[in-house]
Amino acid sequence: MGNLASRQRAQTAAKFLIRIAAILTIAMLFLIIGFILYRGFWSSNQMEYPVISISETNMDGWKAVANRKNKATELTFDQLRGLFTDNYIDWVNISSRDYDVLALYPADFPAPILGISRADFGAFTQECSDWNEALAMCASTPGAVAMIPVSAELPATCEELPVRRTIFAVHPSVTEMFDNHMLRSLPETDMHSVLSGKVRSWTEVGGPDLPVRVVLPPEGSPLAQALASYVPDAAETITAGVNDAGSPELFMHTGSMVEYETALLSTPGSVGLSYSGSPVSGSLSAIRAVRTEQGPNLSFAFLYEAPKMSGKIGGISTIMINTLVMMLVTILVSGPLGILAAVYLVEYAKQGVLVRILRLSIETLAGIPSIIFGLFGMLFFVNILGWGIGLISGVLTLTLMILPTIIRTSEEALKTVAQGLREGSLALGATKMQTVLRVVLPAASSGILTGLLLAMGRAVGETAALIFTMGSSYDLVSGLTSSTRTLAVHIYLIIAEGISLGRAFATATVLILIILFMNTVATKIIGRFNSRSGT
Amino acid sequence: MSTSTPKFSVSNLDLFYGQCQALFGISMDIDPNSVTALIGPSGCGKSTFLRVFNRMNDLIDGVKITGSVCYDGMDVYSDFDPIDLRQKIGMVFQKPNPFPMSVRDNIAYGPRVHGTTGKKELEEIVETCIRKVGLWDEVKDRLNKSALSLSGGQQQRLCIARSLAVAPDVLLMDEPTSALDPISTGKIEDLLQELKKSYTIIIVTHNMQQAGRVSDKTAFFLNGVMVEMGETRQIFFTPTDKRTENYISGRFG
Repeated sequence: MGNLASRQRAQTAAKFLIRIAAILTIAMLFLIIGFILYRGFWSSNQMEYPVISISETNMDGWKAVANRKNKATELTFDQLRGLFTDNYIDWVNISSRDYDVLALYPADFPAPILGISRADFGAFTQECSDWNEALAMCASTPGAVAMIPVSAELPATCEELPVRRTIFAVHPSVTEMFDNHMLRSLPETDMHSVLSGKVRSWTEVGGPDLPVRVVLPPEGSPLAQALASYVPDAAETITAGVNDAGSPELFMHTGSMVEYETALLSTPGSVGLSYSGSPVSGSLSAIRAVRTEQGPNLSFAFLYEAPKMSGKIGGISTIMINTLVMMLVTILVSGPLGILAAVYLVEYAKQGVLVRILRLSIETLAGIPSIIFGLFGMLFFVNILGWGIGLISGVLTLTLMILPTIIRTSEEALKTVAQGLREGSLALGATKMQTVLRVVLPAASSGILTGLLLAMGRAVGETAALIFTMGSSYDLVSGLTSSTRTLAVHIYLIIAEGISLGRAFATATVLILIILFMNTVATKIIGRFNSRSGT
Repeated sequence: MSTSTPKFSVSNLDLFYGQCQALFGISMDIDPNSVTALIGPSGCGKSTFLRVFNRMNDLIDGVKITGSVCYDGMDVYSDFDPIDLRQKIGMVFQKPNPFPMSVRDNIAYGPRVHGTTGKKELEEIVETCIRKVGLWDEVKDRLNKSALSLSGGQQQRLCIARSLAVAPDVLLMDEPTSALDPISTGKIEDLLQELKKSYTIIIVTHNMQQAGRVSDKTAFFLNGVMVEMGETRQIFFTPTDKRTENYISGRFG
């Protein structure tokens, strides 16, 4: 009886282990796919800005407005200034829209608001007689941005552009080099801590060994309002007298802007808010704000727009079509070849040394890294045959790469067809060819289809073999020799070229969904085959 | 003693698998429109011998055959193309082997590969053949269903119907009931009595009662040699050879 109990225990333990391992594996797979889909649909990027996240629509009585088509939601001060000084000639690097910049200002606009003089205005700016004219032009021209008085009413095609111009200004001593590094940027949460008096020394946020001195702007000034909105709990800390307990000099109250600026400039370890482009900001150091920007990533437009500027803007429509074309041509070339080879090996070849060697080489080929096929394709198809980098060279390289897989899986599928079926057909007086075509291949079809699917999976995810053979043009494929890129290559290239992580994940999501769709359709087809044959 | 000319006449047949001889000097005549049973213990060469008639042994590498097999006076190995021969000499296998297609397509397969394409014509063949094996009432509503959804006995009868569809003259049966239950076996045995009116049947069987029930003549094989052949009644009740008697009475095999 004890024997039985221990055997049962062992069995339970084994079952438990198997279940744990299975659940772990499945969880891992779900985690990976889930992560990719999450990043594909939802972007979360760490950005670094010279300004902190307070935006204003009132800059000394003026506000920035833009045509709605620009799709810009917010500008940093540098961007706004850049629009007026030709640093930006289109909106691509601001909002991924390919409109040329037209920066408008009325004749009475004081340029110093932007920290520039009138001589700095660029060629893409235009002076209007008054703000009404500027606003009218802005409303009718995509790509336009205009500076108008705060009080002005906006037409429907224009929207206000909040501008972020507040900087986290510190005394230059804080950003001095120490221990071979310097404090250049801070997460905004750390900035909150510093400004609300929770940090006593700069060492706590990775800075030099200096006490923190928070300089408070004079009460009622715009900067005081900004500070209050940026760190709502600062006022509490100050009035609660926390500063008096630990470090009486943590907060420095100032009575006027002059006093405020002097205090900032003359106190080592001081920190306060200032405006980007204001005279005093030039003598202070600004610490860059690191913030995480989140938002929807994969949009519908991404699917139907053609890519532009190396994929920086636009979508991936042409690349999707190119991928489908590549898959279609590849399956048309490699499918018949691979299946015929498998039929020959299983049904016709005399099983001997030669076939064994052939099988061994096929297996070896199946294990060769794709980049080697890429090198071969580059030399053979591109150079020796002179077909150049293009669809046909890429497809043939892929064909070579996936043929071993197709042959192996088809062979296995053909071998599992019962010998009795072949004999049954032959005994009816069917020829070998008829037997293979009408009985054996249909009976093996689901296995063969599975193999084709596996091979297509390899092909559609391939990058290394394609970069040197099929090229990287994202224009719609126009012929057998036209260079083209697939989704996988696109992902590789936009990461390699440092274009956008978000776009890479969005593309990856599309790729995964395409593969999922393909698999579902193939499973349906296999299911139809099976239900017809009853296996 | 048969009065008609034999359907098959085998003389001095030797068969080799490579170096290994499997059949030794076999000679026999097979009567038309009769059931001939081949019995014997496993591995005695009876199935191999059966496959001589429709040249299924050709499919195996290294098989060599000497001697002669005449079918209606013509040599099976020199006067026939195996494709034509197999159309005339149908075969039913030990394990039911319906093709993974619909019931209808299974029957129509043979006629189709021989060039019959008319839809009506095929439909007629399908019905006649299935009726011949007494399966019509069971499958007439599921002609489009997969043949693999039928029961084992139904599958085997379907396979017989499939062989009949190419209008053969002879049916070779290689232990057709060994994978079936007694009821299905009974149905097939009854069927054989029907079929022998129009076909010549050679059946290999393990089951001696079956040989006794269905066959007109019986040949006993042992170790590649045909020991004895005669009227079934004679083989079972008054065997001339001691070995036959031992086998029949169940002392070995």
